[in-house]
Amino acid sequence: MQIASLSTEQAPPISVPLRYFAAAPVFLIFSALLLALSGSNPFADLRSGAQIAATHHITLGVMAMVMLGAIQQMLPVVIGSPMPASRIVAWLTFLPLIAGVLLFSASFMLGKMFMLDWAWTLLGLSFLIFIAASLLSLWRATAQNATKTAIFLSIISLAGAVSLGLLLAHGYAAGLPLSYPLLATAHISLALGGWVLLLIIGVSYQVVPMFQLTPNYPKWMTSALAPALFIVLLLKLGLLPFETMPSWSGFFVECLFWLLACSFAVITLKLQSQRRRRVPDAPLSFFRLGMASLLLAAIFSLAALIWPQYSDNLRTLSALAYILGFALSLIQGMLYKIVPFLIWFHLFRGGIKAIKAGVPNMKEIIPEPLMWRHLWLQCATLLTALMAPWSTEVAYLTMLGLLLQGILLAYAIYIGIRVYRHTLKRLMQA
Amino acid sequence: MQQVDVRGLPPPEPFININAALQTLAANDTLKVLIHREPYPLYDLLRDSGYQWQTTALTDGNFEILITRALCK
Repeated sequence: MQIASLSTEQAPPISVPLRYFAAAPVFLIFSALLLALSGSNPFADLRSGAQIAATHHITLGVMAMVMLGAIQQMLPVVIGSPMPASRIVAWLTFLPLIAGVLLFSASFMLGKMFMLDWAWTLLGLSFLIFIAASLLSLWRATAQNATKTAIFLSIISLAGAVSLGLLLAHGYAAGLPLSYPLLATAHISLALGGWVLLLIIGVSYQVVPMFQLTPNYPKWMTSALAPALFIVLLLKLGLLPFETMPSWSGFFVECLFWLLACSFAVITLKLQSQRRRRVPDAPLSFFRLGMASLLLAAIFSLAALIWPQYSDNLRTLSALAYILGFALSLIQGMLYKIVPFLIWFHLFRGGIKAIKAGVPNMKEIIPEPLMWRHLWLQCATLLTALMAPWSTEVAYLTMLGLLLQGILLAYAIYIGIRVYRHTLKRLMQA
Repeated sequence: MQQVDVRGLPPPEPFININAALQTLAANDTLKVLIHREPYPLYDLLRDSGYQWQTTALTDGNFEILITRALCK
């Protein structure tokens, strides 16, 4: 295969991904404050208004915020196909997402459910533009690789999760007689099991061997895991409306899902143990904590199937391990790798003048001790979160952990942006 | 023909090594790069700096990139 030497501008301006990465920690801080304002222990009931508001601050304000920015940055790098009209798409997804999340949480905290109609309109607009632009970028790409397939399936899952989310939000706002528990289960499955997991898998295929110097993921995994997980998710959704189906079918499908998810975690941990440069690395440790948390979430969910009398508690623990342990660890770990690289790369692109004037070393852009402190804080937050449903005092420690993490991450990204601006100014004067 | 092998190096080392090799590349010479993944962001850098390139996907999963100075029109 030969590739011609003419290509259009690939990388989007650095401001495109950085705006998402800078906004995400603010929502982490807000989520801690929302939980603290709930008045009781929000971890005791994951369906309470404050918990729904705070959870969506994390899933939309932090996780989706970073993932939207990262995809816009990664598509040109991984499949050689940039987002169309990257600046316009960035503004039209970023601003409605912020406003939508704030309105969403305000409606639950204030008990003004009519505001959900405004929230879902803005969130729908943001995701519609993002999904359309990403699909166009994927369609235009000539590269064929496992990451492209996983990102495609992840975005299809996002489209389903968003559609169901909008239906639920409008249903609450208008008081429609919908089957809320069933729709919520489908929404959560597509959002967490599809959009989040498939995207993390697809990105890991690139990021783990590239940045952590591990062998590549085995071929059988890269070619089959994402499609298999997507099919299992569809099976799960297909079984949901049929209460008369034998219970073993749901049991089997859920076991299959967690088995596939665990295979990803186990293989990733194994590859990381075979890395070529065995130096301590905070982002790598965030990644490992995330994989261990995914295994923990699987254990809690499988235990809930075996001991249905403890199902509520075990599923709460699984959700906490999955969102706060798996997703949040991986996303923050990737940020600590991607943000310094992006800043370095955009400065390095200044050419010979930039190199002669001196571009800071990638490892010096965000201080490593700060990343390690954040990692230990993340471990402590996760540990307290797993005890929080049974103790209000411990729940407050979890909220404090989330608050401090938000502040630390915001500070780290601020340092990165400051280094970028100072160096750019110096390069202009050189 | 100059050659630079950056297979298995973590970012940003491939970029730095390729760029260093380009600094010493004679006007009519070609730089052959061996790399473990297709470096799409490198193409931006090459185009901005006035180089042309041809990428070949090798059967072992690596890539070979031949870089020369673009001809002036």
